[in-house]
Amino acid sequence: MFTKKKIIAFIAACAVFLALDVWMFGAMTTSFAKAVGEGQVQLAAAIARSAPAESEAVDAWLASASESYPGIGLLYSRGIPDLDDVVDASANDEGLFDLYRAQSNSPAFAKGIEAASYLETQAIAGSYRLGERRVSLLFAPVPSKEGDSAIGFVLVALDDARVRAFAGLANALATIAFLVFALGFGIATFSRDPLTGYAILALFAVAAVFVAYPLFEALKLTFLKNGRFSFAVWCEVLGNRQYLQALWGSVKLGCLTATLSTALGFLFAFSVARTTIRGKKLLTALATMPVISPPFSLTLSIILLFGNNGLVTRRLLGLEGFSIYGLGGLALVQTISMFPIAFLTLSGVLQAIDSTLEEASLDLNASRWATFRRVTLPLAAPGILSSWLLVFTNSLADFANPLLLAGSYRVLSVESYIEVTGMNRLSNGAALSILLLLPTLTAFFAQRSWVAKKSFVVVTGKPSGRLSDLASPGLRRGLAAAVYLVSAFIVALYGTIVAGCFVKNWGIDYSFTLANIGEALTRGKDALLSTLLLAGIATPIAGILSMVAAVLVVRKRFPGKRLLEALVMTPFAIPGTLIGISYVLAFNKQPILLVGTAAILVINYVVRELPVGLEGGVATLRQIDPAIEEAAADLGADQATIFRTVVLPLIRPAFISSMSYTFVRSMTAVSAIIFLISARWYHITIQIYNFSENIRFGLASVLSTALIIIVLAVFGLMRLLVRQSENLEKTVSVQ
Amino acid sequence: MNKRSVPVRLEKVTKIFKDQKTKADVIAVNEADFELAPGELVTLLGPSGCGKTTTLRMIGGFELPTRGRIMIGGEDVTFLPPNGRATATVFQSYGLFPHLSVFDNVAYGLRIRKVAREDLRRRVEEALALVGLADLAQRAPSRLSGGQQQRVALARSLVVEPEVLLLDEPLSNLDALLREQMRVEIRRIQKALGITAVYVTHDRVEAMSLSDRVIVMKDGVVRQIGTPNAIYEDPNSKFVAGFVGKVAFFPVSIEGEEGGAMLCGIAGKRVRARKWAAGLRAGDRAVLMARPESLRLGEAGAGIADGTVSANVYLGSSVESFVKTEYGELLVQIDDPAEKRVWPEGARVSVSLNEALVRVLPEGDD
Repeated sequence: MFTKKKIIAFIAACAVFLALDVWMFGAMTTSFAKAVGEGQVQLAAAIARSAPAESEAVDAWLASASESYPGIGLLYSRGIPDLDDVVDASANDEGLFDLYRAQSNSPAFAKGIEAASYLETQAIAGSYRLGERRVSLLFAPVPSKEGDSAIGFVLVALDDARVRAFAGLANALATIAFLVFALGFGIATFSRDPLTGYAILALFAVAAVFVAYPLFEALKLTFLKNGRFSFAVWCEVLGNRQYLQALWGSVKLGCLTATLSTALGFLFAFSVARTTIRGKKLLTALATMPVISPPFSLTLSIILLFGNNGLVTRRLLGLEGFSIYGLGGLALVQTISMFPIAFLTLSGVLQAIDSTLEEASLDLNASRWATFRRVTLPLAAPGILSSWLLVFTNSLADFANPLLLAGSYRVLSVESYIEVTGMNRLSNGAALSILLLLPTLTAFFAQRSWVAKKSFVVVTGKPSGRLSDLASPGLRRGLAAAVYLVSAFIVALYGTIVAGCFVKNWGIDYSFTLANIGEALTRGKDALLSTLLLAGIATPIAGILSMVAAVLVVRKRFPGKRLLEALVMTPFAIPGTLIGISYVLAFNKQPILLVGTAAILVINYVVRELPVGLEGGVATLRQIDPAIEEAAADLGADQATIFRTVVLPLIRPAFISSMSYTFVRSMTAVSAIIFLISARWYHITIQIYNFSENIRFGLASVLSTALIIIVLAVFGLMRLLVRQSENLEKTVSVQ
Repeated sequence: MNKRSVPVRLEKVTKIFKDQKTKADVIAVNEADFELAPGELVTLLGPSGCGKTTTLRMIGGFELPTRGRIMIGGEDVTFLPPNGRATATVFQSYGLFPHLSVFDNVAYGLRIRKVAREDLRRRVEEALALVGLADLAQRAPSRLSGGQQQRVALARSLVVEPEVLLLDEPLSNLDALLREQMRVEIRRIQKALGITAVYVTHDRVEAMSLSDRVIVMKDGVVRQIGTPNAIYEDPNSKFVAGFVGKVAFFPVSIEGEEGGAMLCGIAGKRVRARKWAAGLRAGDRAVLMARPESLRLGEAGAGIADGTVSANVYLGSSVESFVKTEYGELLVQIDDPAEKRVWPEGARVSVSLNEALVRVLPEGDD
């Protein structure tokens, strides 16, 4: 803790480090400036040697020199003031000429001119402002033919942006080095629990560098025009019909998808939780399937069935001019892929409603319909709204489906991608993806704060565990028909992808072939392997990091905890396109140059999946008696040992599921990754997209199928591992 | 099993919490200042929220004092983390590791200390034998009864040979019969090992029957420190008197000291109390405290207060008579009811005092 001795030792150590720090980075900056300066002197001397002696040739020389050395200001003084009778100055830059006129009698200029008269090239100290630039000035002699005297001199103005940029970078690094040292050493000196301190520091660093900094860069870019603060980008974006159309398109699609998904999800949830239809297990499995299916796979399947050359639309129905591309197709594919979210939310809600309440209503002679309308529905209402908002945010952030299926329909996520990659307008792309935040964050926070609090599901006494059958036989048959039909459709979609693997040329030639498999695997091998490798690296990192973060959030008290939690959770709420664009902006330059490396992909996977792991870890940890960890500390275990021997075994289910979600979601990522991939580090989903864009549906189907198999295998493994530790979990929560 | 007995000292230890909602400071412990002799078992007794558990957690290193020092065996441990001090805690919820067997739970601390395998096995088995659980070593904690889990927690704490044993309401989750058994067990082991121990409870019977000394706390303040006997018979305040046992209070006016007794006036009569708190002067208003066993019943008009017997409760070795008087309903304990007279319900009686046992306390201090 804070004793006088420790404080003095800390200040002394900081002072020593600061001195070293300043000395090292100062030396680096100086030697860099010196190296640059020597180069500048040679350059200036060389330029001056080429200057002509005759006055008629001066203009031509200035013009040609300006061409060979662009950006360099030159002033040629034929004759040396105070020595020669004729002194004749001309420059290629009016600002330089004026500067020379104003300063020619100053000591610094006089010294430079004097040096030139002795045939020496000299840079004068300090930097001068030339228009908007800062330059260093050099006086170089123009030697006579004999080379023994100077017939004049050239004043050379060189941009010193490089030196200043280097100095700025060095200063920033020196500051960071000092801060890291001071914080780290401070924790080591003053904290009772240094390891926790380091963990907090490390997590803050990760959140600051890989969440806050890129987002800040993206935001900054939208407020800059030619390096100055300006609203120009926003004026352009908000004044552009096409962009506003895309915003409206996103919102419209979001509302449509959210409504359809919630309705479908409720239908499934109600059938499973409140009726006695058959095959509930299978229905649940099928209804949750799309939530883990890789991107593009359902879209691909929809295109194969209903596209321009679709099996149903063209082959079976013989439709001409029918287009699945656009709002309708998008709403269809998004509903199929997102209604599982609604289903999972709503079946949770319906199961939590004690059926005794419905029985009480039936007992009071209310009809089934009245019971549903006046008891079940009001109780489920917050859940319904919550699932609507969840699907809405998902639909807005969705990138993969509209990328393939939007056609001429505009949505913001794709629009910002096109701005960045197609038009190379990064600032507009950033602005558009920030614009997308508006409805997304509104829905996200509404769902989090308001709806979550409004939950009516209060468990009073023991729920009966029975289910009340609220459907009359006729209604039950109707419900069953509907859910079976939708399930069959889902099966058909997945079947189509598998079938697509074995068809020669979908839409034209439906003959059987195995050639696709060989070709897809050959061409997709690199992408598949690098995706597996990088997802494999990201998985344990995200797993451990999220569990450490969960321990900090649940068990420790420290300043800035809420901020840290918010920063770590941020990537969960914002669309992947914004993350991708901001990463490109932040990590394509010093001091952190990562674009094109594998690291940026791994970091992106980790940062994006941390929130899910954190939430799971927090939920599990809250169930565990803190006395268990205190007992371990009491028995002599330090924080690292406690984490390894007690915490990790106890939150194993959350740990395993966090890791498998990270792996699967990294494998199936699209929206952020598409900005960050390079030729060396490609991604399997982008490969699928490329195959689909080039109408090589067979190849796309093979890779999609491979990806689906991988995903299912990982989840199967996770189930197995979690079930092993389920007994454990029970005893933990009983405590 | 234990190496040595050490003293524990708290020097003006204060703990201030920030209330999460109101952001106001809450003084959980206010200048607690006391010392435990080596091998002594001291109970922290008080109602919930009195700061007793916080005090214990500061000794264990789970909370940091806002001010003050904590010394164990003459060494300042105030800022040491729990794993840096020679304390072992038995938690209210036991805190057993659910993923480890009984054996591994007890072995945990020894494994951290890198005890050799043979030695470890021997010591774990000894500890389990000490608490009578030698047969259940391979069980999972979840398959033990509450009392057995309690014993595992105790064995786990004892096996690392702590210098100080901290017990945080260890018996509150057990049923009454088991509680009595474990109380005796804990006391037996603690005495046998000669280990200094701090025991937190809100149960006065537990505190009285276990401890060498009792520390009574209220609202973060230590109100009285003393042997169970002293706390019961000579409490220094109305609060302590009421918290450690059944008691009746009579408002009196002080008339002065005379011949080793304090003269008190009560309803026109005079009581010569042999015990009183310091600082009482003639003319002060005060209260007279009387335990049920220092009250006697007699014919109406004989004692200091008349009343009607409202109920008699037969407890075998004694009878508790409830008497309605102007001072409220008084409980009078009649020992050896066969020898003495028990008045029937509805009878008019008078309550008188055993002047050797009653005590005068300052008024209003509760």
